[in-house]
Amino acid sequence: MPATTNRPLRLFIDIGLWLLTVAITLLGLAALTFFIGRILPIDPVLSIVGEKALPEVYQRVYLELGLDKPLWQQFIDYVIKLLRGDFGTSFSTSRPVLTDLLNFFPATLELSTIGLLIGVALGVPMGVASAYWHEKWPDHLIRIIGLVGYSVPVFWLGLVGLFVFYYLLDWVAGPGQLDVFYVGVVDRVTGMILIDSALAGEWDIFWNAVSHMILPALLLGYYSLAYISRMTRSVMLDQLSREYVLTARLKGASEFRVVMGHALRNAAIPLVTVIALSYGGLLEGSVLIETIFSWPGIGNYIYSSLFAADMNAVLGGTLLVGIVFVLLNMLSDVLYRVLDPRSRELAK
Amino acid sequence: MRLYKTLVAAALGTVMSVSGAFAETPADTLVIADAIDDIITLDPAEVSEVGGVLMSQQMYQPLVTFDPADPTKIVGVLAESWEVSEDGKTFTFTMNPNAKFASGNPVTAKDAEYSLQRVILLDSRISFILTQFGITKENVAEKIKAMDDATLVIEVDQKYAQSFVLYVLSSFTGGIVDSVLVKEHEGTREDGSNDYGNAWLKADNSAGSGPYVLTKWDPKVSILMSRNENYWGEAPGVERIFLQHMPESATQRLALEKGDIDIANKLGPDDIGAVEGNGDIQVLEGNSSTIYYMGANVRDEALSNPKVIEAMKYLIDYDGIAETIGRGTIKVHQTMIPDGFLGGNIDYNPYSFDLEKAKALLEESGVSLPITLDTVVWNVPPYPDYAQAVQATMAQAGINLDLQVVDGGPWLDRYRSHDLDIWVGLWGPDYPDPHSNAKAFTVNDPTDPDGAKGNLADRFGWNSGPLSDQVLAAVQEQDTQKRAEMYDEIQRAHTDSSPFLYMFQDSRRVAMRSDVKGVVLGITFSDDRYGAVTKE
Repeated sequence: MPATTNRPLRLFIDIGLWLLTVAITLLGLAALTFFIGRILPIDPVLSIVGEKALPEVYQRVYLELGLDKPLWQQFIDYVIKLLRGDFGTSFSTSRPVLTDLLNFFPATLELSTIGLLIGVALGVPMGVASAYWHEKWPDHLIRIIGLVGYSVPVFWLGLVGLFVFYYLLDWVAGPGQLDVFYVGVVDRVTGMILIDSALAGEWDIFWNAVSHMILPALLLGYYSLAYISRMTRSVMLDQLSREYVLTARLKGASEFRVVMGHALRNAAIPLVTVIALSYGGLLEGSVLIETIFSWPGIGNYIYSSLFAADMNAVLGGTLLVGIVFVLLNMLSDVLYRVLDPRSRELAK
Repeated sequence: MRLYKTLVAAALGTVMSVSGAFAETPADTLVIADAIDDIITLDPAEVSEVGGVLMSQQMYQPLVTFDPADPTKIVGVLAESWEVSEDGKTFTFTMNPNAKFASGNPVTAKDAEYSLQRVILLDSRISFILTQFGITKENVAEKIKAMDDATLVIEVDQKYAQSFVLYVLSSFTGGIVDSVLVKEHEGTREDGSNDYGNAWLKADNSAGSGPYVLTKWDPKVSILMSRNENYWGEAPGVERIFLQHMPESATQRLALEKGDIDIANKLGPDDIGAVEGNGDIQVLEGNSSTIYYMGANVRDEALSNPKVIEAMKYLIDYDGIAETIGRGTIKVHQTMIPDGFLGGNIDYNPYSFDLEKAKALLEESGVSLPITLDTVVWNVPPYPDYAQAVQATMAQAGINLDLQVVDGGPWLDRYRSHDLDIWVGLWGPDYPDPHSNAKAFTVNDPTDPDGAKGNLADRFGWNSGPLSDQVLAAVQEQDTQKRAEMYDEIQRAHTDSSPFLYMFQDSRRVAMRSDVKGVVLGITFSDDRYGAVTKE
């Protein structure tokens, strides 16, 4: 068959096109961030030298940042450096931006992943239950839980959480990633404390990290749960009203099999996108959660860099978030093919 | 669902059993919570953020310092003694032979020469603090010079008050680095010039003679310092200082009450009030040198009338604002030099809210009311709160403040280009000498008529008359006591006649665990001294 002989070529073109799309997306993102950064009313030179510095000091830093060149030239210089893998140096940390990202991102990755697992583990069953008992009390209850998650300010909930579970009940550890006692004990391998401490066999530290992480992770989980359960509910409602569900029931399939085996299986495809988007949102880092819990994540890094007009850091952070979204998109594409036989057929 | 419940219960159960075991900070570590994401360097030649200065002061020592309780007492640190020439221009320091760096190297005049020179050679952002003595990149080799290992000579361009030069050298700019060590780590900057070890000192390295050395700086996360094992003074009582980034006041309060931190540096008025009754916590009071004021641009016709300005000074409810908005974080202060500084503490607060008097003054002024004034306010607390309170009282007399609440960038831009009628802002001195404030608020510089270089009198269009010369005379006065008296007189006249409406000085209140002893609060936010801290 000709389709078979052409397959390698086809795959090659597919990957090529995909890479091109990714490259254009990231370039567009970099351009947008770059030019928005330049029209912000913050003078990067002043935020380095302070408003009392001598004019010659101002001039030196101005030249050092390359601000004397035309804007397009600055952008091209940046992109060329980027292609060499050089994200530039952040003046607010004096470290290469890449080093910073590798420092801050794992903390966010770890927290978000656990948050997402909680959100999915609770949100999907809740959404299914909500759809199954449509307009009955479990539905109302679950929707109220979701509504609270949507509408209560995370800042408030975080502080109340700390007050109750940390201050009053002493169930969890306080702000920060570890007790001071343990800071710097374990070698940094992945940057994710749970993994690093487990690798080192330091179980005291592992459990201490869990204790620090559980509250912010639950909060993140709660917020993604609110979204995931709502989306699961609506997708499931749609599926449960389909004719194949009726057919299955007429054939005498058990309710469990109808809901979990048939309806949820079909609902899973759009849910993959929902979950991937939630994950992407979490991986951008939550500035408020990070502030309350003194969590050294990527959200605060980008946020504080933006206010310091530290554009290399902001650009690096934005590109990282962009790459995360591209990867998640790719992942959900792959999952689509696994979950939906039709998309595999189409691909042929 | 049952499975999930079991899992969650199991997870929570484990957490409950492991936490709580370390509810206290380690006995040998002082844990300080602060907002440290603004720290961009710890190199003493360029630090100027509050947190950066605070940390670098624990690692580096100046030639001289002063007693925070009585700033007229200036004492040697790395310098043992000093002499000033007849003409007041040449300062000769004799180094303290006992002093040594953490590396074990002795502290010599060569180190002091290198350290002070590099501030200028680096074109550092704080170089203006030293260039005001007429020292430039070109002449620095002559002006700051080590004659031998024990003798350092600094030559200034004119006769200044000794105390002025010494206060400047006592500030963070004057921190001395180990030149032998730093020279080994000199690199080049992007433009090819020598970085004088700047990059190395911004990584996890320090080269000072203070009680602590830098162990790890994790930017925007934490700073860990350890005891300097070679410290030539009395050994510090705790082995480590851990500065943790904890930006949220409410979080700091919970962690402090819980005992997870020892000192909370960023508590807001609500949280300070809340911890005060707690027996495990003590609240130390000190001064901060920050002054909150409103500047009136006298280029405006109505504001050029001194009666209008005087009336406005009676249209601020100072006590009311301090009580209801400040709640212990500020005190009424109506002079330009902060309490705690030489020439401060004169307790001259002639104005209070007096509507009748203000109306009478406005009547005398002949200005037709109402007037509307463009008032530029920074959009972060406490400025909008102050501005609204003042707006309410001024409106009663027909002075309408059109509040323009803006981001920090435009707020500073309009201030620099004096594109406003009223600026609501603050002033923090650059070094612990009254001249920093007196010069900014008083001196008229004919070569810079719009105050682009930072003279606020010019920037707000005010001719300070004889006061300008009086300030320039005070900074040359050799007798420290007499100098203080001169500032007393200048300040009274300044408060009465200037277009600056001084309102408040920050009062510092720092909450810490009761078992922490020996913290000495400085006269600014960044001047606290942890060298003698112990935990019982």
